[in-house]
Amino acid sequence: MGFSYVLPILIGKTLRVLARLRGGGSAFPGYAALRLAPRFLHEVASQFEHGVVFVLGSNGKSTTTHMLSEVLRAHGVRVFTNPSGANLPQGIASSLLAEVSLTGRLKADIAVLEVDEAYALEFTKVLRPSTVLMLNTQVDQLYRFYETERVADMMLDTSARATEHIVTNREDPYLSKIARRIVGDQPDVTYFGASAEVIASSPHGLFNATDYRDGESSSEEHVALGELRGLEGASATVAVRDSEIEIVLPAKGLHYAIDAAAALATAAVVLGEGFVDSAAQRAFERMKPAYGRGELLQFGDEQVEFVMFKNAASLQLNLDALPEPPEQVLLAIDEGTPDISWIYDIDFSGLDHVDVITGAKAWQIALRLEHEGIPIGRVEPDLRRAIDIMRSLPKPSRGIKTWVVNYEQMMLARKLIGFGELENQR
Amino acid sequence: MSALTIVQLYPDEMGVAGDAGNVLALSTRARRSGHATEVVRHEVGQELPANADIVVIGGGPMSAMRRIHADLMANAQTLKLWADSGVSFFAYGAGAELLSHGVTAGEAELSGVGVFPFRAERTGERVVGYLIVDSVDGPVVGFADHASRWLRNDSAESFGVVSAGVVPAGQAEGVIIGSAIATLIGGPVLPLNPDVTDAILSRALARRGETYSAGAGQEGLEEHRALDHYASEARAVIRRNAEHHFKRI
Repeated sequence: MGFSYVLPILIGKTLRVLARLRGGGSAFPGYAALRLAPRFLHEVASQFEHGVVFVLGSNGKSTTTHMLSEVLRAHGVRVFTNPSGANLPQGIASSLLAEVSLTGRLKADIAVLEVDEAYALEFTKVLRPSTVLMLNTQVDQLYRFYETERVADMMLDTSARATEHIVTNREDPYLSKIARRIVGDQPDVTYFGASAEVIASSPHGLFNATDYRDGESSSEEHVALGELRGLEGASATVAVRDSEIEIVLPAKGLHYAIDAAAALATAAVVLGEGFVDSAAQRAFERMKPAYGRGELLQFGDEQVEFVMFKNAASLQLNLDALPEPPEQVLLAIDEGTPDISWIYDIDFSGLDHVDVITGAKAWQIALRLEHEGIPIGRVEPDLRRAIDIMRSLPKPSRGIKTWVVNYEQMMLARKLIGFGELENQR
Repeated sequence: MSALTIVQLYPDEMGVAGDAGNVLALSTRARRSGHATEVVRHEVGQELPANADIVVIGGGPMSAMRRIHADLMANAQTLKLWADSGVSFFAYGAGAELLSHGVTAGEAELSGVGVFPFRAERTGERVVGYLIVDSVDGPVVGFADHASRWLRNDSAESFGVVSAGVVPAGQAEGVIIGSAIATLIGGPVLPLNPDVTDAILSRALARRGETYSAGAGQEGLEEHRALDHYASEARAVIRRNAEHHFKRI
């Protein structure tokens, strides 16, 4: 770096302070800095000893980015990471601006970045990843992506631009086939996965999309460097290379467990011989759930467990992770999820009733559940009133109320019960 | 009496838009009005049942269309025969296009079964958002998400006319021929629009010499009341939000 970056960084930082004063975060400072100094990200990243990791996937990006960052930190590695709300290029540039000195110095050994699939390939032109981790291809936001295989290609093409390593999901029909696209021996390809027994023990498995365009519509067989071998509630056994590590997951569910296998495999690839089982284990012990992913928040003298979903796969995997039907349930979905046709592809039998359904699409959810004969307490499209109803219900025996929410309703609900900080302000 | 047979064609490949919901709406409403139903999932390589009362097919990507194409064409004669003899069809999106005279997508072309008198052309322009249509079976609300243009034969009757939403009002929507409906309205449509579901069930049951008793009277059937109530409230919200164009991310 050098003095040529002082001005763009200063302008970016100033804009950032102004945006904060106005309230809320903003991607504009990052946009401005990138316009003034297109090589700014590249120059900052070139200081990182372990390079830049992109985390891609239909689901689990935030969780896995968090897990990988914590595992690396437990090894004494200084990690720069982006808050999960900021996974577009401008947002990432904005969050870097907050950390760099005026001459562009940043005290970090690695950047672990979750990146939106649709922007990732373009982003490699300004910030070339050394490692790309691909989590899964699941049917997601078809109104935006049109076809699931397009999303797979976005990720596959991005990963091929990694300068050193690809870490990919052996159990994913699309992503397990990346090696076919790599000419030569760079980047190298490493797999993570889950044993057949663990996958079979979950009612709907991993919910990855079927690869209809290939003769082989299921996933390719490979040896996994990180393999999930056991799962009981929030306790998981993950084999890394030859040793099995017992870890505690930040939240229950097969999806979190395989994300952990992905994070551990990636840490092992990045750190090489430096990877230490006990450090990884320690990292998971003290890990908190990512924002809204199995998080417990205080609600009067009770607690609310937030279960967030954004598409069919994340909702199904969260429902499958319920050890028993929750005692008190609020279900919330609004226009933040424009197309919810897929609710008819979801098996809701993990719920034996719902106390309140809320959000602009509450009636559509009620209609879906009525077709399944699942009892509904109340339909109250207004979230504030729905929360009042939840408050008035008797305290559940475990003291925990379960709120199953889409992203937008979660943000609103948090605010209404006094946890209004934005995701990228924690 | 045998159960009302609903055949869902290629539920995995051609069912990406919650199309199972259309099957579920038909079977739930039929059962709650006292008619036994049997749902047959037809997969590639299986034999079609000897008889069907209602055939349902849904949407899927081009790769899925290619994957099922040979099996579909091998069954084309049966499907055509069924349609000609008055079997009800409810076909959505890409599945409907495979039951038309064919689909063109750039250089690629897929032949169709020929149940519906139109051809589909994939365009570069995506249509995404709520849609409200005045159909031959009453008003229909749903969610559109496609990049298709349907070129109807001169004699083809459209399923309805757009009244509001993401497509300009006045435009023709879908195709109906006999008891077969092809549409680009998703949502899925049948749970949200019990009038259409009931119309399909009435036609299918009438063809068997049975009477469908759900639609009679203002009150409707007691067993349908919750379904009707939720559907009506859901439609009201969609009507209010139909003009709201959500941000493309």
